[in-house]
Amino acid sequence: MEFEFDEDQLLLRQSVRETLAKTRALSEAELWSTYTELGWLEAPPVELAIVLDELGYIADPTPFLATATWFAPLAGRLPEGSGTGVFDGGGRFVLDAERADEVALLTSGGVVVVPGPELAAQRLDTFDHRLHVAHLTDLPTGTDLVPGVPELALMGLAVTTVGACRRVLDLVVAHVKQRKQFGVPIGSFQAVKHKAADMYLAIERARVLAYYCALTIAEDDPRQHRAALMAKAAAGECQEVVYRNGTQLFGAMGFTWENDLHIYLKRAVAANLLLGSATVHRKALLTMEVAAL
Amino acid sequence: MRLGTNPEVEKFRAEFAAFLDEHLPTAEEATERTRSSSHIPEWSRRWQQTLFDAGYLLPGQPPEYGGRNATLEQILAHQEELSRRRIYHSFNPQGLGIIAASLLTFGTEEQKARWAIPLLRAEKTAALGMSEPGAGSDLAGLRTRAVLDGDHFVVNGQKVWTSGAHDSDVILTFVRTDPDAPKHRGISVLLIPTDSEGLVCRPFASMTGPDDLDFNEVFFTDVRVPRENLIGELDNGWAVANGSLGHERTLLWLSYAERLEDLIRDAPSDGEWYASLQMDLQALRLLGYEQLSGGRNPAEISLLKLLGSEALQRANWHALEQHQQDALIHPARTAPPNHMAHDVFTTSWFERYARSAPGTIAGGTSEIHRNIIAERILGLPR
Repeated sequence: MEFEFDEDQLLLRQSVRETLAKTRALSEAELWSTYTELGWLEAPPVELAIVLDELGYIADPTPFLATATWFAPLAGRLPEGSGTGVFDGGGRFVLDAERADEVALLTSGGVVVVPGPELAAQRLDTFDHRLHVAHLTDLPTGTDLVPGVPELALMGLAVTTVGACRRVLDLVVAHVKQRKQFGVPIGSFQAVKHKAADMYLAIERARVLAYYCALTIAEDDPRQHRAALMAKAAAGECQEVVYRNGTQLFGAMGFTWENDLHIYLKRAVAANLLLGSATVHRKALLTMEVAAL
Repeated sequence: MRLGTNPEVEKFRAEFAAFLDEHLPTAEEATERTRSSSHIPEWSRRWQQTLFDAGYLLPGQPPEYGGRNATLEQILAHQEELSRRRIYHSFNPQGLGIIAASLLTFGTEEQKARWAIPLLRAEKTAALGMSEPGAGSDLAGLRTRAVLDGDHFVVNGQKVWTSGAHDSDVILTFVRTDPDAPKHRGISVLLIPTDSEGLVCRPFASMTGPDDLDFNEVFFTDVRVPRENLIGELDNGWAVANGSLGHERTLLWLSYAERLEDLIRDAPSDGEWYASLQMDLQALRLLGYEQLSGGRNPAEISLLKLLGSEALQRANWHALEQHQQDALIHPARTAPPNHMAHDVFTTSWFERYARSAPGTIAGGTSEIHRNIIAERILGLPR
C-alpha cells in the first residue's frame, strides 16, 4: 500500500486551495458554477476527498457535498444541476433536499431518480445556517423508501469534518500566537500547547481514516464498509476534541458571533450528527466485528 | 495513493513466511525464559543468528550486517509477519534496535566489526546509558564526566533506568567531555564494557514485582575506557543521541501497533472502547505508512509515539476493567502461551496495564512530544 498523495493529487489540492482563497466574496450560485466548471464533481473518490476536505475548511454553502456523495453513488451518475440522495428509509434530515435539481431515492424497488421540484421538502432551521437540511414531507405514491447509506456519503461527511476541524485549529493557532497575557503569547504556555497538540492528533487520526476510506472506495475494496464506519466515527471523535479545546483556547472571543470560529465549529458538529454520530458508528463497527467472529 | 500490493513485497513476504515456517524454534527448544532486556536465552541466541545468516535480522541492512538491502515496504512486511505470529524481534531489543543501529550509522568500520556484528549475532548484549538522576527529559543536562587521559577516557558519574545493564556486555554511555561548552555540545558517546574496573550495576525492581529486575543504576568510578571506544566525534554526541533516539522512535510505533494488535486478539469486547482500539491501530498504521514514505515533517514521529502509547494505555485499562473481579488474579495468563515472545505480553491484565505506563515516559514523555508537536508542527512559540 502507498499512502501518500501522488504529484497530481498534490497539484489538485494546491489548485483547490488557491481557487477557494480567491472565491470568498462569491455568492452560492457563483461558487457552484466555479466548482462545476473546474470539474470537481467528476473527481474520483480520493480526489473528491481532497476537494471536500478543502470545502469543509471553508464551510462550503453549496450543494456540492450532497451532489457528489449523496446523489452520485445512488444514481450512478451526476445530476443535471445539483442533486441529493435519500437513503435513510424515511426521508428525514436530507442534505439540500429542498433545493436539489434531482433527488435519488433508495426504494425497495431500487433507486428512483425524481426531479427535485416535484418532491415536497421542507428546509429545517438548524444551528448551522449555511447548511441546507430538509425533511421530505410528501412522497410520490407507492414510493417505499429503504435504508442503505453509501460509503461515499459517510466518507464525505467525515472528510468535511476534518476540513472544518483543520480550520478551527488554524484559527486557534493564529489566536494563541498573537494573544498576549502576562507579557507573552499564550501559545508559549505548555497547557495551551498541549491542548493544541491534542487537536492536531485528533485531526490527523481522523484525516488518515477518512482518506483510507476514500481509497478503499476508489479501488472497490471489500474493506470499504469497515473503513467508512471508522472514518465517520473518528471524525466525530475528532470534532469533539477540536470543539472542546478550540473554544477553550480561543477564550471569550470564540464565543462571539462576530468571530468566525463558530462557522467551522458548527459545520463540524453538524457533520457528526448527520447520518449517525461517532457513538452510532463505533457501535456499528462492533456489530460488524461480532458478525465476523 | 493506492492499496494494491507490490509484487516485490509479496514475494519477499512469502519467502520470509516460508523461512519462518521452516526455522522457527519449537516450544520444546525454547523452555528457558528471558530475565531482562539484555538476557538472551541460548535457544534465542541461535535463532537470532539464524535470522542474521539468512539476512532476515535487519532486512534493510546489507548482508554483512544481517540484512538483504530490503526496501522500506519490505521491512514493514517483515515486521508484519513477525507480529502476526507474535514473534519478538530480539530479546535484547535496545541492543539490536538502538545500539547496533547507532554503531552502523556512526561507528568506524573497525567498531562495526568489533561491536555491531557480535550484537547483531546475539553473541553480546548491550544497554543504553542515557538517563541520569538529574537528566531525564532534559537529557542534555547529563553530568557523567569523561576526561581524556592519554589514550583512555576516565569516566565518573551515574546513570539510571539503564534497562538490562546488569546482564549486558557493553553500555552505550552518553558522557560530558567538555563541561565548558553549551550543554548540547560537549557530550560524547562511549561504548563501555560492563566488566570494566570501577563500573558497578545495581538492578532494581519495577512495581510489577520484586523479581522483575531490568532497571539499573550504573555507577562509574574512575572507569578507564580506551579512546577507540569513542562512537562518533568527540564532543558531538548530541548527533548520536538524536540518531539513537531517532532509531528508537522510528521503531516505536511498530511495537505499539503490535501490542494493540495483541489486545484486539486477547480482549474481544462489545464495548465501544474496542471499536476505538481498532480505529487507533488503523490510524497508527496509516500514519506510519505515510511517515515511512518520507516527505513528512520528522516531528510527526512524535505524533505516532503519542497515539500508539496512549492508545495502548487506554485499551489496556479497558481490558482490565472489562474482566471485573476476575482481573484481580495474578499471576495469570491472558493469552495463549507463546514461547517466541516475552512472557510479559501474556501476563495478568493488571500487569499488562501496569506495563503500558512506561510507554508514555520512556523514549520521550508524552508532555515532551506534545511540546514538539506544538512547536515544530504548529509553530507555537517556545
